[in-house]
Amino acid sequence: MSSSETSMETTIDKDLHVTFTHMMYHLLPNPYESQEINHLTLAYFVISSIDILNSLHLVEKEAVVNWVLSFQVRPGTTDDPNNGQFYGFNGSRTSQYPPDENGVFRYNNSHLASTYCALSILKIVGYDLSSLDSESISTSMKNLQQPDGSFMPILTGGETDLRFVYCAAAICFMLDNWSGMDKEKVKDYILNCQSYDGGFGLVPGAESHGGATYCAIASLRLMGFIEDDVLSSCNSSSLIDLPLLLDWILQRQGTDGGFQGRPNKSSDTCYAFWIGAVLRILGGCNFVDNKALRGFLLSCQYKYGGFSKFPGEFPDLYHSYYGFAAFSLLEESGLKSLCSELGITNIAANGV
Amino acid sequence: MAGIIEDENDDRVPISLRPEWSDVTPIPQDDGPNPVVPINYSEEFSEVMDYFRAVYFANEHSSRALSLTAEAIGLNAGNYTVWHFRRLLLESLKVDLHVEREFVGKVASGNSKNYQIWHHRRWVAEKLGLEARNSELEFTKEILSIDAKHYHAWSHRQWVLQTLGGWEDELNYCNELLAEDMFNNSAWNQRYFVITRSPFLGGLKAMRDSEVLYTVEAIISYPENESSWRYLRGLFKDESALYVNDTRVSSVCLKILKTKSNYLFALSTLLDLICLGYHPNEDFKDAVEALRTWDFGEQDSDIARTICSILEKVDPIRVNYWIWRKSRLPQVA
Repeated sequence: MSSSETSMETTIDKDLHVTFTHMMYHLLPNPYESQEINHLTLAYFVISSIDILNSLHLVEKEAVVNWVLSFQVRPGTTDDPNNGQFYGFNGSRTSQYPPDENGVFRYNNSHLASTYCALSILKIVGYDLSSLDSESISTSMKNLQQPDGSFMPILTGGETDLRFVYCAAAICFMLDNWSGMDKEKVKDYILNCQSYDGGFGLVPGAESHGGATYCAIASLRLMGFIEDDVLSSCNSSSLIDLPLLLDWILQRQGTDGGFQGRPNKSSDTCYAFWIGAVLRILGGCNFVDNKALRGFLLSCQYKYGGFSKFPGEFPDLYHSYYGFAAFSLLEESGLKSLCSELGITNIAANGV
Repeated sequence: MAGIIEDENDDRVPISLRPEWSDVTPIPQDDGPNPVVPINYSEEFSEVMDYFRAVYFANEHSSRALSLTAEAIGLNAGNYTVWHFRRLLLESLKVDLHVEREFVGKVASGNSKNYQIWHHRRWVAEKLGLEARNSELEFTKEILSIDAKHYHAWSHRQWVLQTLGGWEDELNYCNELLAEDMFNNSAWNQRYFVITRSPFLGGLKAMRDSEVLYTVEAIISYPENESSWRYLRGLFKDESALYVNDTRVSSVCLKILKTKSNYLFALSTLLDLICLGYHPNEDFKDAVEALRTWDFGEQDSDIARTICSILEKVDPIRVNYWIWRKSRLPQVA
């Protein structure tokens, strides 16, 4: 920041954020134990943040690879490949139990979201996914797909909504193997989630929501149902009501410059990613008032690093990650560019 | 183990000192040789999960195991492994699910934005069946009385209506919520849900007329309310011709434009109507012109282009969008 600038923050303090995320990398503070079940997700937030902040040299890549791989659940030697199990990754040690003598996991708590996070982290640290025993992940994923096209996150049961549709699509994309899902059924489910106002809800009938809309559009893009930069082309997508979606999405930017998740709600840092990424995918980034958005995000920047949900509050890992991701979408200098539909940097997504 | 911190709850008796657990050997967590992004666990957390590991691995179905799941849930309400095991115990121990429902209610009051709690609540309700209907509607109503936009509560309520019924009073409930806060977008969404899916109301076509009347009144009361404008459009989903030709829609736009106040959505709605084929008369052209309080230079005779120009000025956050919309308008002859 040059001395001729005003005293208002106009750039993010990258060094502070690197220190913040590096501290998290070494030890997650005690309050995060209440989210321990999502340990891999927390790790994804930390490591992807460090990557976006162009500081991957701070990460011990081999240790990360070994740690992530230790969460994988593989079929045992006596396991029938058609036994209805899902062979993915556990999300945490509290849900992970050792296999028996035949390598059979009697307690298989592998989870779609953890699997997405595991693969993302592996890609970030440059691990070649073709080294992974991924066939069992891909084929067993169909055991999680529901008759209406949605996905259950774990075989022992759980809510089925667009979040896990997204995880499934991202996993298939990263493994370049779509045998684990019936794509047409998934597409139909997603379309059923488009609300009367153009946005997408988490399940059919639910209120349209920024996060759900990201899951919908990113999934459709990953599956190849939306072409790149679709707004620039003269043929608008007939799959979804694109003009209605665009109008809804752009109205999410408030007078404070930030993005809200739903109409008539407060602006929140994370929607700068959820909404911003949708616009990036559709080719509508320049419809955002980037200056105003930066202003809002900077008001959520914490003086010792990280971002909070609302201005003037304490930071948390989730909002910090999406704050960094949002600044990457804003092409902040010093940050790596982001692959919007995968939620990792472009270098991580496409390999070195 | 790294990072053990002092317990703050001095009343808590460690499990290792509880006589009813004396025969169980806790299984410590195996973090592996090089844990990455380690968590600074408290002693309490480590101990509870070490004992949970023991009973889970041994597949022990007992009331002490059930109590232990409650303790574990208290420390990490999102732990789906613990919740799943709890469900297995509830079934094998034949626990009264009405009691369990109370338990979930208590946990929810501290952790209401947690997917696993709501999933468990749904599981209990499914097991109880139709008799659970009223209590579930009541429960969600209580949550919504504190936070009328609570996403999980609305999701659960929609599931209850679809699975267990109770549609009769739902439109009325929406009326109440909207009377309290016309800007509650969740209530508008629920309204749409009810009129399109309630077996008692006849569907969107049958309800359209009365809903247009309701929505137009709402728009007149608060023309700056995005929710009502979107709802109005939604009433004509997949029926653009009806939307364009319904004089009540174009009339409310004109009415708001004439007030010269809070007219953003009126303008953009009129623009959308024109793009869908509406031909505004002189009244509209005059009303739009009256909003143009600055000099463009050459006056644009095309009302759609004028609307875009005004929006570029009065909705500056979306200036690039309105410029783009203008560029996509059919060329004026």
